[in-house]
Amino acid sequence: MTTTKAPSAALTSFVVGSRYMPVYIALLLLVAVALIWAPATLSGVALRAVAPYGAVLGIAALGQMLVIMTGGIDLSVPGTMSLAAVITVGVGDGSNELIWVAIATAVAAAAAVGLVNGILIGGLKLNGLIITLAVGLIVVGVVNRYGSTFPVQSPVPTGLSDWTSARVLGISPILWIGVGLTILLIVGLRYTSVGRRFQAVGANPVASHVVGVRVTVNQILAYVVAAVFYAIAGVALAGLLRTPGVAVGSTYLLGPIAAVVIGGASLTGGLASPLSTFAAALFLTGLNQMLRTMGLPTALQFVVFGVVIIGGMLVSGDRIVRAVEQLIRERKPDRSQTPTLAGSTGGRAWKEEGM
Amino acid sequence: MKRIRIIGIIAVLALVAAACGGDEETPGGTPTPNGATGSGALSDYGESTDADQALVDKALGSVEPSDEASWNIILASIARATQDLDQATIDKAMECWGSQQCDTGTGGETVMGYADGGGDTVNVWRAVSHMEAILQALTYDEIGTIVSTEADFNPDPAVHANDIRFLIQRGVDFIVGYPDVGVALADAVKEADAAGIPYVSFSAGWVGLPDQDGALTPGEDYLTVVGEDLCDLGNSFAKVLNDGVGDGEVAILGGTPGNALSLGWQRCTVDSLASGLDLVNPPANKNSTTGDTSWYPPAIPGVYQGLLTTNPDIKGWAYEYADGMNIGLQTYEDLGIPVENLTVALRTDEQDLFCDWADRNEPTYKIWYSAGGNFQSRVGVTAAMLSLAGAEIPAEVVVPHVMREVTADDCDPDRVAPSVSGTSLAPDSVLQLMFGG
Repeated sequence: MTTTKAPSAALTSFVVGSRYMPVYIALLLLVAVALIWAPATLSGVALRAVAPYGAVLGIAALGQMLVIMTGGIDLSVPGTMSLAAVITVGVGDGSNELIWVAIATAVAAAAAVGLVNGILIGGLKLNGLIITLAVGLIVVGVVNRYGSTFPVQSPVPTGLSDWTSARVLGISPILWIGVGLTILLIVGLRYTSVGRRFQAVGANPVASHVVGVRVTVNQILAYVVAAVFYAIAGVALAGLLRTPGVAVGSTYLLGPIAAVVIGGASLTGGLASPLSTFAAALFLTGLNQMLRTMGLPTALQFVVFGVVIIGGMLVSGDRIVRAVEQLIRERKPDRSQTPTLAGSTGGRAWKEEGM
Repeated sequence: MKRIRIIGIIAVLALVAAACGGDEETPGGTPTPNGATGSGALSDYGESTDADQALVDKALGSVEPSDEASWNIILASIARATQDLDQATIDKAMECWGSQQCDTGTGGETVMGYADGGGDTVNVWRAVSHMEAILQALTYDEIGTIVSTEADFNPDPAVHANDIRFLIQRGVDFIVGYPDVGVALADAVKEADAAGIPYVSFSAGWVGLPDQDGALTPGEDYLTVVGEDLCDLGNSFAKVLNDGVGDGEVAILGGTPGNALSLGWQRCTVDSLASGLDLVNPPANKNSTTGDTSWYPPAIPGVYQGLLTTNPDIKGWAYEYADGMNIGLQTYEDLGIPVENLTVALRTDEQDLFCDWADRNEPTYKIWYSAGGNFQSRVGVTAAMLSLAGAEIPAEVVVPHVMREVTADDCDPDRVAPSVSGTSLAPDSVLQLMFGG
């Protein structure tokens, strides 16, 4: 009979943490490449200009991350972001006095969309991919209809656009909000019982159910909170663009998913890191900006961007964990019985870990 | 006395016969214009070319007429651009603008199809062009139904093509539209042609430029393309930059990647730039556009950021979209680059950029523009109706252009919506309902 030895805490942390390393390596590589071919993109002014757009993607990606942690995926992001943006315009009606009413309405409407997604997916156990796609389409229809009730290209209240273009400690307030939400999720997932239960549901819903965790409620909650994040991103984007239009969120279908995956999460659910996800969003935005700055034709920009995402996926998440495990096994053959950290359930880790 | 009475009776009978005979002589069931009496070169088809010169100047500026066939169609179109509309017409126009299908109330049997790759809710220019086409259609008693589709800039070309196919199935008699996806719309346009439905594109919306793979040939595969001579437009842009910048860096921007409009003028602008000008974003090859913004507001800031980050000393821009330039100016603020020593050549003339220019009061910042071109959708409708009446339509209805320097007069602070083109022929009474909230 062979004795199974549990890995040490340090080793566990190292192996689990290794899944998030590639994004930081990618960021360093991006900086190195930019230094050589497009050094102007690293100037303080250029970084400050691109930061709010990176933060918008990051906030949307944080919402997507919560859904992916439950083993789901959310394709209603573009519709929900557009919904929040047009509500900000429509309810705001160009009046600074109505900014908070508009934002509250936008967040509430988005939460309602998330609730519908959550009930259909978590409650009725329908396929998340199809449901969020369908709900997203319905929301786009509603947005178009609602958008036709006020003049096209109407602006958001000037108070909002002035705020988004302002600087707090020299940096866009949207970036600070993104950083704040990232910290909130890190603390919430890692240090609260609600967060730990949420992670447990993502890692192993069956086991969680057995031990009394309300799996369905957690799944519904994920979609609702995610939608609130999309709404925040949508409002921020509306402020940045001033006249957002009804299709403002349409480019945010795949970007948030790419950020989550490059950030080390597994599409089958389980572990994810808010910090790595936000960093991945900044990486993708920076990459996009660098490609433009280098003057690549649009077609080539798409190709390079896609190749980099594929490369990121190849070296992130479960693959990197398995590679590290393999490396450890080869170096310490006597520990060949060490339980896998990637797990046998498609990458769901057996140990709850938020970071 | 008896002789006078007989002469009088004969005269009355002759007049009645002449009046009745007029209809019979109209070739091919000629439309009888509502509000325009046939006169001038197109009178045989019931069209008047007696356009109000003030409206011609408003839409085009002080241009030299294009070729006679094109110019007559343009004049006939503007002759129908009535500015004093009665309330019933305004209400009907608003009804048609807000509906996919509407009954014009004339009882006419002709069905007009309008296929926009953009849409009323995504872009002001598209919304106004759609309205101008509707207003033009309402001047024809023969048009009893208007069916409109919009693809909302959907990146999937199939959506655009299916809009055309929907109109074919709906049994429209002609289609006016802007083909945002260019050659990707070719199959659907050919299906329309095969079904005997004339397709007219406006705003120089070629279904592929002549030397592009898969491009259709106007006059053969579809009725006609209405718009400026794109190479002339590109040369005009280059002249503005050559004269205004002299030496230094310039950049050019366009719309959706590879679209015919941008490609057409960019090719000639690139070739005509003076040797002292350094184009910071040359196209990869002659079949590529550069500075692709997709005319899509969320995409525009990134394009400006990409160019200005590396080239903060850009002294000149050529772009077809004034509102896009206005969005780009936000990037100047973000990057802390002063808006000065700058020359801009534009096609359209949205008011918000011009009012921003006036507010800046910067003498070294100059803008030149051509024309918004919303009224070209009217030309499309009239060209199609002339074709149905049996008139010969040129493969290209060339809209002449002239570059105009922006002055303080180009900013109308009382304009009903700042992002509406100043050269639009949609009456203020209609614009007020469209954009007045």
